[in-house]
Amino acid sequence: MRPGPGGCCCRRPVRANGCVANGEVRNGYVRSSAAAAAGQIHHVTQNGGLYKRPFNEAFEETPMLVAVLTYVGYGVLTLFGYLRDFLRHWRIEKCHHATEREEQQVIVRIFDSEKSLRYTGNIIKDVINMGSYNYLGFARNTGSCQEAAAKVLEEYGVGVCSTRQEIGNLDKHEELEKLVAWFLGVEAAMTYGMGFATNSMNIPALVGKGCLILSDELNHASLVLGARLSGATIRIFKHNNMQSLEKLLKDAIVYGQPRTRRPWKKILILVEGIYSMEGSIVRLPEVIALKKKYKAYLYLDEAHSIGALGPTGRGVVEYFGLDPEDVDVMMGTFTKSFGASGGYIGGKKELVDYLRTHSHSAVYATSLSPPVVEQIITSMKCIMGQDGTSLGKECIQQLAENTRYFRRRLKEMGFIIYGNEDSPVVPLMLYMPAKIGAFGREMLKRNIGVVVVGFPATPIIESRARFCLSAAHTKEILDTALKEIDEVGDLLQLKYSRHRLVPLLDRPFDETTYEETED
Amino acid sequence: MVWMVLSPAWKQMSWFYYEYLLDTALYVLEPWERTVLKSMLVSVMGMALNTGYISMPLSIMAILLYFETVQ
Repeated sequence: MRPGPGGCCCRRPVRANGCVANGEVRNGYVRSSAAAAAGQIHHVTQNGGLYKRPFNEAFEETPMLVAVLTYVGYGVLTLFGYLRDFLRHWRIEKCHHATEREEQQVIVRIFDSEKSLRYTGNIIKDVINMGSYNYLGFARNTGSCQEAAAKVLEEYGVGVCSTRQEIGNLDKHEELEKLVAWFLGVEAAMTYGMGFATNSMNIPALVGKGCLILSDELNHASLVLGARLSGATIRIFKHNNMQSLEKLLKDAIVYGQPRTRRPWKKILILVEGIYSMEGSIVRLPEVIALKKKYKAYLYLDEAHSIGALGPTGRGVVEYFGLDPEDVDVMMGTFTKSFGASGGYIGGKKELVDYLRTHSHSAVYATSLSPPVVEQIITSMKCIMGQDGTSLGKECIQQLAENTRYFRRRLKEMGFIIYGNEDSPVVPLMLYMPAKIGAFGREMLKRNIGVVVVGFPATPIIESRARFCLSAAHTKEILDTALKEIDEVGDLLQLKYSRHRLVPLLDRPFDETTYEETED
Repeated sequence: MVWMVLSPAWKQMSWFYYEYLLDTALYVLEPWERTVLKSMLVSVMGMALNTGYISMPLSIMAILLYFETVQ
């Protein structure tokens, strides 16, 4: 193992992407305090210098006691669930389910749901919103976006009532598509009415039977649905794990299709920019290196990362300093950072022209509504700085600062936080099923709205609370929120983390910096 | 009732009870389900203690005899 430029020499084996195997690697994850070290390792002893900045991602292991108690909790709930089902079936207990009455086969009346699951009907004012994907703060009812949208509303109306290929192609749509193509740095782009439908309707148009799709373990439901609808063979690689992806690519090229051994018509790699449940960022430089080596195609879903990452908000491609032409299909949505709705696909002109004719969404789905289009145009111009103000740049910088500050403070408090240092999605681990509801309620009592997620959106023991930071959050708002999270964390005993933060050192590494400092 | 016994010990005990409810997922169950589980736990513990109280001295004597500590 030759020493890196810093003069450090690591005894431990260095894997292909430079992350060190110190004996505690699970699915490509590295223990959290060594992640600070691994970030520097990426930077220093590198395979060709793919990464221009440290890549700090950490997924701390679940503490054993917490895992056991979580399983006990789920066991208790399962037992009682079966008991209640039994009682309902034998009509010992009144069944509150929505059922059709025999006399009314045509009209279905919805009965009250379970007594304990009734909506409380409370209206709470002045709640800090930490759960919506409003990354750059464009979802507000004042400002230039709102005025422009109101003007367009008066001019065009709301409904389009037609599809893109029929009468629904307005000049606003053409303007938007040119703007999107310029924003991303690609040749052409096409926009659709719904972000979910963009994925699920366009992947079948791009691949079919005889093609191979390599999709990440934790891809969004829209990508999974699109992949399944297309009829191609799907193989899953472990989350963000480049060794797994390379192995699959090698096997695909060597062995070909399963029975006939013919070569695959196309190999498409499906990844996302930021994974919203984990807060992790894709290892894009390595994916692109692999794609070029094995001549596959790359489909990048930037739903959460467009507008939120990168010095000028161009997304994960700019964050890593790569060329947008390397990504074959750049997909994204306008729902998160632009405060509107809809999705886009950008790429080479031939690709976009093909999609205009062959996409299901263009043929059957209604096109975007004009005020929404105007909102996107105004917010995109604002981000690019073309409206004359520096509001866009300030928003992006504010978001980056908020992200680092919030993550650092939460880690210092002792919570287990998943994901990359720079991602504005912050999952805070709760693990136990009862704490999911308790956390949500306690935070709402203190006027902070959070989103809590459990099974099946996450693995069964890894339930979490997901915070989404926004440029609209000021430091005071974040401090208030952090104080309340601290309080609730003490009340519910959520501070599971057993690692103290090892500060990033600039001296050459020796054995001791790999040791975790445990409490 | 709450105002009457708001001493630190009572607060600590009620916090421990809250933690117990959270950790074992009893927090989400309805009151009658909690009663069922608690009575089951109490009965199992009671049976274990009862068996221990009755048969433990005899078992210990038998073990000691086996190891020829006590003749």
